[in-house]
Amino acid sequence: MSAITNPPPIAATGGPPEDPNKRVPRRVFQSSLAARGEPMVWLTGGALVLALLMIAGLLLLIAWNGFATFWPGSLVRVALDDGAVYMGEITRVEHYTADDGQKVTRELLRTGNFDLTGTHFQWVDSSDVAEQADPEWATLVERLEWGRFYGFPTQFILDGEVVATSDAEVWAMYEQYHGEARGLVAKRKRIEKHEVGDINYRQESARLKLRGVELSSGKDSRAYREQEAAYRAVIADSQSEFAEARARIAKLNEESERYKIVLESAQGQPVTLELGEIVRAFQPNRLGFADTIGIYLARWVEFLWQDPRAANSEGGVYPAIIGTVMMTLIMTIAVVPFGVLAALYLREYAKAGLAISIVRISINNLAGVPSIVYGVFGLGFFCYVVGSYIDGGPEGAGVTPWSGWSWGILLAVWIGAFVVGGFVVGLLFRLIDNESAPFLRFFKFGFSALWVISLVICGFIVLATTPFFTGFFEANLPNPTFGKGALVWASLTLALLTAPVVIVATEEALAAVPNSMREGSYACGASKWQTIRRIVLPRALPGVMTGAILAISRGAGEVAPLMLVGAVALAPELPISWHYDEQFGLNRSFMHLGYHIYSLGFQSPNSEAAKPMVFTTTLLLILIVAGLNITAIKLRTQLRKKFASSAF
Amino acid sequence: MSEEPKSAFTGRGRNMNTKWTVRFGDVASRVIITVGGIGTIAAVSLVGLFLVYETLPLFMPGEVAKTAAADNPWEGDRPIRVGVDEYNLLGYVVQQDGDISVFELVTGAAVQNIQMFPEGHPRVTSYSFLNNKDEVAFGFEDGTVRLGEIGFKTTFPPPETLPDDVRALTEDQTLIYGNGIVQVTPEGQFRKTGLTHQLQDPIQVGAAAGPGKAAEPIVRIDLKERTTGPIFVAMTESGRTTINAVRSRRNMLTGKTTLTKTDGVVPFEAPAGQDGLPDYLMLSGLGDKVYAIWNDGTLLRYDARNINDIQLAESINLLEGVDDAKLTTVAFMLGNVSLLVADDRGDLIAWSPNKPEGATTPDGIVLHKLHTIKTEAPVTAIGVSPITRTIITGQSNGGVSIYFVTSEKEIAYVQTGDGTQDGGGSAAIEKVTIAPKEDGFLAVNNQRYFAYTLDPGHPETNLKSLFGQVWYEGYAEPKFVWQSTGGTDEFEPKLSLIPLIFGTLKATIYSMLFGTPIALLAAIYTSEFLHPRVKAKLKPTIELMASLPSVVLGFLAGLVIAPFVEDIVPAMISLGFTVPVAVLVGAYVWQMLPGPFTLRFHHYRLIGILIALVVGIGAALLVGPILETLVFAGNIKRWLDGQIGSGLGGWFMLFLPLSAVAVAVVFSRVVNPAMRSMSMEQGWSRQRFAITDIVKFGIGVAATLALALGIGGLLTVAGFDPRGTNFGDFVGTYVQRNALIVGFAMGFAIIPIIYTIAEDALSTVPEHLRSASLGSGATPWQTAVRIIIPTAMSGLFSACMIGLGRAVGETMIVLMAAGNTPIMQLNIFNGFRTLSANLATEMPEAVKGSTHYRTLILAALVLFIMTFILNTAAEAVRQRFRKRSSQL
Repeated sequence: MSAITNPPPIAATGGPPEDPNKRVPRRVFQSSLAARGEPMVWLTGGALVLALLMIAGLLLLIAWNGFATFWPGSLVRVALDDGAVYMGEITRVEHYTADDGQKVTRELLRTGNFDLTGTHFQWVDSSDVAEQADPEWATLVERLEWGRFYGFPTQFILDGEVVATSDAEVWAMYEQYHGEARGLVAKRKRIEKHEVGDINYRQESARLKLRGVELSSGKDSRAYREQEAAYRAVIADSQSEFAEARARIAKLNEESERYKIVLESAQGQPVTLELGEIVRAFQPNRLGFADTIGIYLARWVEFLWQDPRAANSEGGVYPAIIGTVMMTLIMTIAVVPFGVLAALYLREYAKAGLAISIVRISINNLAGVPSIVYGVFGLGFFCYVVGSYIDGGPEGAGVTPWSGWSWGILLAVWIGAFVVGGFVVGLLFRLIDNESAPFLRFFKFGFSALWVISLVICGFIVLATTPFFTGFFEANLPNPTFGKGALVWASLTLALLTAPVVIVATEEALAAVPNSMREGSYACGASKWQTIRRIVLPRALPGVMTGAILAISRGAGEVAPLMLVGAVALAPELPISWHYDEQFGLNRSFMHLGYHIYSLGFQSPNSEAAKPMVFTTTLLLILIVAGLNITAIKLRTQLRKKFASSAF
Repeated sequence: MSEEPKSAFTGRGRNMNTKWTVRFGDVASRVIITVGGIGTIAAVSLVGLFLVYETLPLFMPGEVAKTAAADNPWEGDRPIRVGVDEYNLLGYVVQQDGDISVFELVTGAAVQNIQMFPEGHPRVTSYSFLNNKDEVAFGFEDGTVRLGEIGFKTTFPPPETLPDDVRALTEDQTLIYGNGIVQVTPEGQFRKTGLTHQLQDPIQVGAAAGPGKAAEPIVRIDLKERTTGPIFVAMTESGRTTINAVRSRRNMLTGKTTLTKTDGVVPFEAPAGQDGLPDYLMLSGLGDKVYAIWNDGTLLRYDARNINDIQLAESINLLEGVDDAKLTTVAFMLGNVSLLVADDRGDLIAWSPNKPEGATTPDGIVLHKLHTIKTEAPVTAIGVSPITRTIITGQSNGGVSIYFVTSEKEIAYVQTGDGTQDGGGSAAIEKVTIAPKEDGFLAVNNQRYFAYTLDPGHPETNLKSLFGQVWYEGYAEPKFVWQSTGGTDEFEPKLSLIPLIFGTLKATIYSMLFGTPIALLAAIYTSEFLHPRVKAKLKPTIELMASLPSVVLGFLAGLVIAPFVEDIVPAMISLGFTVPVAVLVGAYVWQMLPGPFTLRFHHYRLIGILIALVVGIGAALLVGPILETLVFAGNIKRWLDGQIGSGLGGWFMLFLPLSAVAVAVVFSRVVNPAMRSMSMEQGWSRQRFAITDIVKFGIGVAATLALALGIGGLLTVAGFDPRGTNFGDFVGTYVQRNALIVGFAMGFAIIPIIYTIAEDALSTVPEHLRSASLGSGATPWQTAVRIIIPTAMSGLFSACMIGLGRAVGETMIVLMAAGNTPIMQLNIFNGFRTLSANLATEMPEAVKGSTHYRTLILAALVLFIMTFILNTAAEAVRQRFRKRSSQL
């Protein structure tokens, strides 16, 4: 405290006069160097710069790897001293010290051809390399199955006859027919997906309907026999359609089999590929800049719009994007209205007091509860309790229903409690107002809270023990319909998770609306609701939207709870359906970008090959989340500006 | 205004009444908002309630209900075996003479009576039944042993072969039919359960009757089933004891089974003070240990791992020499490893063999008291569950208790009788057995039998087994273990949450150690020294990082950073001191620049810091290999393994930060004031001061190194090694995914949070305080340290707490970068498993409603409570801070 409590001597000008010859010491400047604490300031600054460096490094790493994934690199052919020949793309270069102390450089070649060699990658020590070249006609083939193929085109087969044998000719033929063959395959896929899918759907609905009738009226009933006849008709009908579709598929297959290309691997093994199975093929070493850009963009388009293939390590992430979007959308629909309601209640209707501040602290707390805890809750409550209840009634959820009459009594008691308690509460609200004694007000609050809570709990019991509800999807049991991880449960779980975010943000926005505006509105004769709707909410809207966007960005990036409530590595169907019988796809498990990163990076059989895709997916996810956040921040600043200019 | 009150100046009439729609809208919106608001808040709070509700059953006892109590439907003396079928319908009793009675549990009606040994068959002199399995061995007076099977068998006879009264059965009815009982399954099949038995040919074990000598009866026998075939130990009247491994071969042509046996002799000799044969002769499940036990507690253990060379290995007293106590019954627990020993004092003790270090027995194995259970009355009969470590005990007062041995939890206790002695009411239980699915049990006294249904609940868990050290079978000592699933049926889930909580705290501590200083220092610089324009750009950027999905950080940590760091561990360690030293050197160099220059360019200080930082990082790469050679004997990983080098280097590195702090304290308390007063007295120039300062810094660095080296040297000389398990365990074997990586990656997650909140707290310190301080002549640094930071202290604290909360609950980063092994070591280079990562990996596989499932929910609850406490504390402190700063 020396600098403050002991003023430097120069300040003591009001003291006894000093000898004018004596120089005033310039100590103050010298000691100021120590007082400046330069080293400590540098340490704090170092921390800031370090944090920024870390962040920048992280983003650069992701951006560099993410953007580089789809850039077609050159193909090298490496001949080793021992005669082995490899061809592929160099994915990584490493320097290490061998056991004998020598510095060695080695390259990781992506050699593909998994069907021939059983491996995707090959380490090559640079010291062993006898010859290295970039052959012009080295071709990279991206296939629907087995991953990539690297080789040289040798023959083109049309209708079983070899029509071309030289590189250039084969390639010309390939370019001529590839589009056609792909078209045939796409057509086949469409038939398989839509027509055959429709047939399966009709069969399954008919079966479920039959099982439903069996459950409701037994196997010996007339209704069952009628339904069975209908079921058989549907089956017979769909069988013929199915046969017809199969025939068309077979024809398409036959047609696409006409076009084949023969490639030779670096080791000289010939491989015949159907053109339809080839997604994309090119010679990286022959590409011009424009072609390179074209392939780069085409791969991005594929990434964004296509299904994944080769165990998710190639192709696109379209289903994951759709899954993420659908989940976030449903979550937003669930969380925003309720979050706003809660905030409105807390800010506009509830009387400030101890209870409300406890509630507020709890909500702030819940925002800090780990997401995995919400995941556990989602699995335990939504999937296993609510979902099973929807599927199979109380018994499905593991509760033994009561007998009919005792449940009737329970229901009567509940209704009675509802009516009588409601009457009492109404009376209390009439009699006790804000001017009453505090203990009376406390009594009013306590009684009504108790009433509501016991009604809710008893309501749960009433629902849980009813013998008259056996579930909506009993026919499907033991296969769960909703009693498992599903899109809707994941959305609701994340809605719970993000509810505190929305509530807090909305509350802040409401609090920022000046009271004078509310009072002005009341003075003009507006009712409370009119005031809220016309004055408060419009002003708070940007804040509400900020909260919603923050919630969305948190929801979009959250993975841990999704692992428990429905995200899967590979979903057979998109979580969207237009059929009521398929619950609009709400009960399907889904793919999610964040979970995709986890499963691709840590559960993939071929994680080295998947790594570039992980980076690209990460980049995409970060772009989405950052985009949402930047929007939120922009909105917030705009909101602040608006208030700054229009405060009364 | 008097004539037309309702007419306004516009000329139009005005309706002063509120429209009903407005009133209705107001009421409706009030109701909707209130109900919706409270409902939403309630729904969110439901999370905690639900977790509590789901975990409560873990601590509940089991439930029992009596289904039957009737007079024994069999005749004869004491039963030697009772059993129940897996559907809890039939019971059977085996008498010593080989008669079997099968009866319906509920009614007591006889279903079947079997006489195993016809008249004239040699008398049974000993018997052995496998715990809850069908295999059985009888020893006879003529020295032979017969193996066999007695057990229930289920068949599904086709409906057309059944008579009408059986076919008329509905799902909840049963009917005695033929030699069994028939029930309709939910699938509509007819399921018939009945007893089957079979006996194999006699095997001569004791000496057969020959000319001039009588046969040697088998008086003790114990059978076990190994994967290679049955094995039994048998003792004849003379005390000759053999282990017999039996192999059955089936002749393909004749279809006849021949039994061959190999045997080994147990060198049995009654110990001093024991006259006569042991009361119990027992063989362990693998056939590698033979126990001879007398009722006074004497136990001899023979090591039979080599069947040709069986030796006495251990001799102990199970009752620890209490003279008047007597054993009442002995049995094996599931797995046939641990012995359950009951005595007449009401103690039930589980003894288990294990291999402690420094055992004095020849085979290194020692019997240990694993668990002690105090029962109501002395135990007279023990039944063992075939699926878990649950046991059932019948007691001398007619009571029946069910225990889970590992957790020592009493699942249920019932008194079979009415307390009266007559009519078999409270007579001692003679035999007791638990149903194969643990859903019922049967207890028998000398007159009546009692059948119960049982719901064991979650016997494995109580507070002790979840949060305490438990001595599991096969472990050398009580331990905290989390191991929820295993390979074999006899595997016992070990559900201590402590290793997971430990992992959570480890992750939290290391990430906070890394993240907090950076975040707080960065916040101080941002709020106190950064130009407002730069701050306006920088702060949102760092805030943006708070929303970076943690899966991204986890992926980078696990797949990119972990392999990268593994190659440059020494450089990473060097970073810890090269960077601060480089920055400090930068600062001292900056001081040496002329005053006007620094004053003019002090806004560009950040660039200087950046350069210093980069130099520091570069220096780490250079220093790393040198460090490895000097300190870690040339190879850090082998050094960490403890293969090479001495502990000196490790102590040196561990004490380096502590020494640095010590030296800094000494300097700031002693050297700096001295230097300041000296500079004032002698009127040092700025230049001179700066040079002295940098020299001082150099001396400080040297002193730090010397101090750390000195302490490390002392400790090494004293014989301590930081790599050993005996001293804290701070360093040890390097694992690729470890706490260092997690700490670093989690830093990305918590730094933005702590930074944002801390910076907010610093910025909200009223501006007039800052102005007053600066106006009084304090430098910005003095203002920051003496005014701003103390004022904002509670805000900074709350920032740390919220960061802590985030670190505790973080899932994806630890899941991907921590290796997920539930071990308890502080070692920074080792992995761990946190509560959250454990939930993420195990929850999807846990069966709904199972003990595992509920324990995981309890783990979630623990996490919930931990973060709730942290956040509440942070919130409380923050509110106080707000109040205080608003008063300033």
